[in-house]
Amino acid sequence: MLRTRENPEAIKAAALSLTVHLLLLGALLVSFSWKNVHPLTVADVELWDSLPESVQRPLPEPIKPPEPVVQEVPKPEPPKLEPLVEPEPQPVVDIALERKKQLLAEQKEKVLEQKRKQEEALKELQQEMLEDPAPTRSQNDALKKLQQETLSEDKSTGEQKIQASRAAANASVIGEFTSKIKAKIRGHVNKTLCGEGNPELKFEIGLMPTGELSGNPKIVKSSGNVACDDAVERAIRASEPLPVPADATVFSQFRNLKLTFRPNES
Amino acid sequence: MNVAVAGDMSFYSLVAGASLPVQLVMLILVIVSLFSWWYIFIKVATLKRAERDAEEFEKTFWMGGDLNKLYEGIASNHRKPQGMASIFEAGFKEFVRHRQQARMEISDVMEGARRAMRAAYNREMDDLDAHLPFLASVGSVSPYVGLFGTVWGIMNAFRGLSNVAQATLTQVAPGIAEALVATAIGLFAAIPAVIAYNRFASSVDRLSVRYESFMEEFTNILQRKS
Repeated sequence: MLRTRENPEAIKAAALSLTVHLLLLGALLVSFSWKNVHPLTVADVELWDSLPESVQRPLPEPIKPPEPVVQEVPKPEPPKLEPLVEPEPQPVVDIALERKKQLLAEQKEKVLEQKRKQEEALKELQQEMLEDPAPTRSQNDALKKLQQETLSEDKSTGEQKIQASRAAANASVIGEFTSKIKAKIRGHVNKTLCGEGNPELKFEIGLMPTGELSGNPKIVKSSGNVACDDAVERAIRASEPLPVPADATVFSQFRNLKLTFRPNES
Repeated sequence: MNVAVAGDMSFYSLVAGASLPVQLVMLILVIVSLFSWWYIFIKVATLKRAERDAEEFEKTFWMGGDLNKLYEGIASNHRKPQGMASIFEAGFKEFVRHRQQARMEISDVMEGARRAMRAAYNREMDDLDAHLPFLASVGSVSPYVGLFGTVWGIMNAFRGLSNVAQATLTQVAPGIAEALVATAIGLFAAIPAVIAYNRFASSVDRLSVRYESFMEEFTNILQRKS
């Protein structure tokens, strides 16, 4: 293997060769950061206009707001707001996505404040009306609106009412989660594939309690555009896990979900 | 090959996690690389020494001393003469031996000395050329060997994808990283080998030209002496 004249160099060369390789290995280990940093699981945050009411959870005790002192003043021209509605205990609308007590408390405070503002507005209006014997039409309207608002809010309060409206609430939860699912899917749809207009697709989706698909989504009604159908189907797969209610009774509605989907609807 | 789990990507786990053929390829390449560097360092030393020897010998030869004395000096050295010295020794020994037989023709004497020098020159060239073919092979083949390992590893990595519904990059990335280590080692072996081969080939060429011109000049000197 080696010539006789090369023998004196052999050991030195072998040592040098080993050194070169060790240097390279060292450079590899030093220059690369081999530690794999696992990124934290990114929380999927969705923003909602209307807060989903969770019926499953017992509503916290309604907080008694300070009784507003509404002075009944003789009105020169009593409008229709004669039955001044005493604001009943304010329901605390729980946010389904926020379970922490702290947040709850904040929510309550906000609602209370809103209430107070409304009352103040009412009072102001009344005083204005006192001063002005002929309140303008717009003021009247504003008053009515305020009253209606307070009334409608009051409607949803009261435990007996909640008991009664349980079924309706269930339906609303279903509607909320359906719209959630739609929104999540919509975020994944490549809308350019669906073109102009407002195509409508109907899908049948089997869901598991974890929100994963239990089977392939079936197209019940095609949009007429194969590319669009495929895009939506891909989007459904991509948006796994889909948001589903935790409650088993409500979830049963989602086991075989018929989804009407308009990709171009915003 | 556990491609599904994107575990820690330490260098060790990259090598240890590779499949057996890829590991074999890596092992072969590391050994080849070690040998090629060994030869590179050996050749650097021997070629440098050969050039230095040639320089020294030319200096003493052209100083115009007595050729007999020079020959004695070389022959009495316990070390076997190398390079130009060995060519000179072979040629001069043949020349002296033929001249002692008085009835030889001058052209025959010259021819014999020339043949002896040519033989010594060939031996020298053989020594100088040693290991160069190995370096050439390493330079040209080891990238392919590394590529083979990489292709094998990537094939494995992609085969692992066939079982999952959702193909993500994290499922193939570790496998590909493992596979690419083979190419990296192959290139690390090949690049120095190619550079060294080219350098050594040119040095050997220059030395052989020097030896040959020395042979011609020495033949002329011998012819004048006879």
